Amino acid sequence: MAYQLYRNTTLGNSLQESLDELIQTQQITPQLALQVLLQFDKAINTALANRVRNRVNFRGSLNTYRFCDNVWTFVLNDVEFREVTDLVKVDKVKIVPNCFCSLVGHTTECTLAVWPCLQMFLNSLTLISSDL
Amino acid sequence: MASSANSNQVPKVYRTVMEDVINEVRELFLDEGVDEQVLMELKTLWENKLMQSKAVEGFPTDEQKALQAQQQQAQQAQQTQSQTQPQQVLLPSAQQATPQQVIVQDPKIFQHMSAPGMSTAAALALPAGVAPIQQFITPQGQLLQLVRAANGAQYIIQPQQQMLQVLPQMQPGAVQAPLIQQVLTPLQGGLSQQTGVIIQPQQIVLTGNKVQQNTQAAAMAVQPEQGAAHVQPQPQAQAPQQQPQQTQASQQPPMVLQVDGAGDTSSEEEEEEDEYDEDEDEDKEKDGGEDGQVEEEPLNSGDDVSDEEDQELFDTENVVVCQYDKIHRSKNKWKFHLKDGIMNLNGRDYVFSKAIGDAEW
Repeated sequence: MAYQLYRNTTLGNSLQESLDELIQTQQITPQLALQVLLQFDKAINTALANRVRNRVNFRGSLNTYRFCDNVWTFVLNDVEFREVTDLVKVDKVKIVPNCFCSLVGHTTECTLAVWPCLQMFLNSLTLISSDL
Repeated sequence: MASSANSNQVPKVYRTVMEDVINEVRELFLDEGVDEQVLMELKTLWENKLMQSKAVEGFPTDEQKALQAQQQQAQQAQQTQSQTQPQQVLLPSAQQATPQQVIVQDPKIFQHMSAPGMSTAAALALPAGVAPIQQFITPQGQLLQLVRAANGAQYIIQPQQQMLQVLPQMQPGAVQAPLIQQVLTPLQGGLSQQTGVIIQPQQIVLTGNKVQQNTQAAAMAVQPEQGAAHVQPQPQAQAPQQQPQQTQASQQPPMVLQVDGAGDTSSEEEEEEDEYDEDEDEDKEKDGGEDGQVEEEPLNSGDDVSDEEDQELFDTENVVVCQYDKIHRSKNKWKFHLKDGIMNLNGRDYVFSKAIGDAEW
């Protein structure tokens, strides 16, 4: 099972929206949509691991940090992201390193930390089915 | 290459992921008994949304190539499919070398005469002033013809079966012929889906991104596949009336296609997406202004020059989603060792395999 954390990206969200539209028009079932998302998780994880080979450095000031149920969330201000030649400056950025529990069906191994992940999972189900 | 190392990578990576996903789920779709068409629709929707988000540069190139390839294939198929039908014919001067007018006889029924041997995909790039008629075929196998009217105005006639992806072929700025604005009542069932062509010379219609399946959205008169290659003696006799009857447009209100990428619908989705984000995130520090500014996000993201990108006005929430190798803190100095991340900064997407950062709290 692959991490679901990439669902909340441009790529992931556009896929979810497309799936939602198809569900609305009843061209696919929510179950199928979920399968597609799982497949997306696999594909994006593989792609990032194998196809991307670049390094980025960044520096900024830490506004807040949170570590709850194995999920880190950082909010940084005035950050500079530097690649070899690129420089991107943002005034506020949120970094969400993965929760290892964002795995579907992984309930047996992380019982304590399962709650936020389960919540996310349920939310995703709700999102898919809310328009029915 | 300088500043484009990452932006070169992103479209490719995304394209790879998309192809992977679509191919893998094809089987799932078939298992569930869902038509391949739906899969294609999913792909289209997905690509369109990505293009709309402008988070990725230079994305839809594959789609265009595929479209053109399909056009060429479909053209051959189309010519073999032509059937004669006793219907009024829109004669786009298929056989003639001189410019001809578009004839609208019956607002509802048109027959498109496909000119054998017309160029297909090339028509897209041609100004259409060169040849009287050019054919090209949409991925749906519909025949598009570019017709030059006697008055010099150029029209595009399209079959109206499914107006999918017709318009993405027409790149903004490359369209020289005023596109047909209106869609006449689409024929249902029995008839070979021949529909009227409405020509409005001064209107230029480009969807850019979203070409929807419903006929109104496409706003292009579409020619049926079957009728494409017809040559009928009857219609020919009638054809030479040569009066572009724009009144046919009155059948349906003129539909103008959005060039700017259908901001309307996306705003709703954006909003929904934004709420979803909020539900999911534990972080309560999201700007309250985010919700109110959601509609603007797809419009203004990426528009600003670099100087302005730092300002608060820029309402993209810059998010980095990644995995971490190590998070380290010493007093108030934090060090981040991250990996395999996707970033959305100032509206643009970036990816990295490794990221190292420092921050002071």
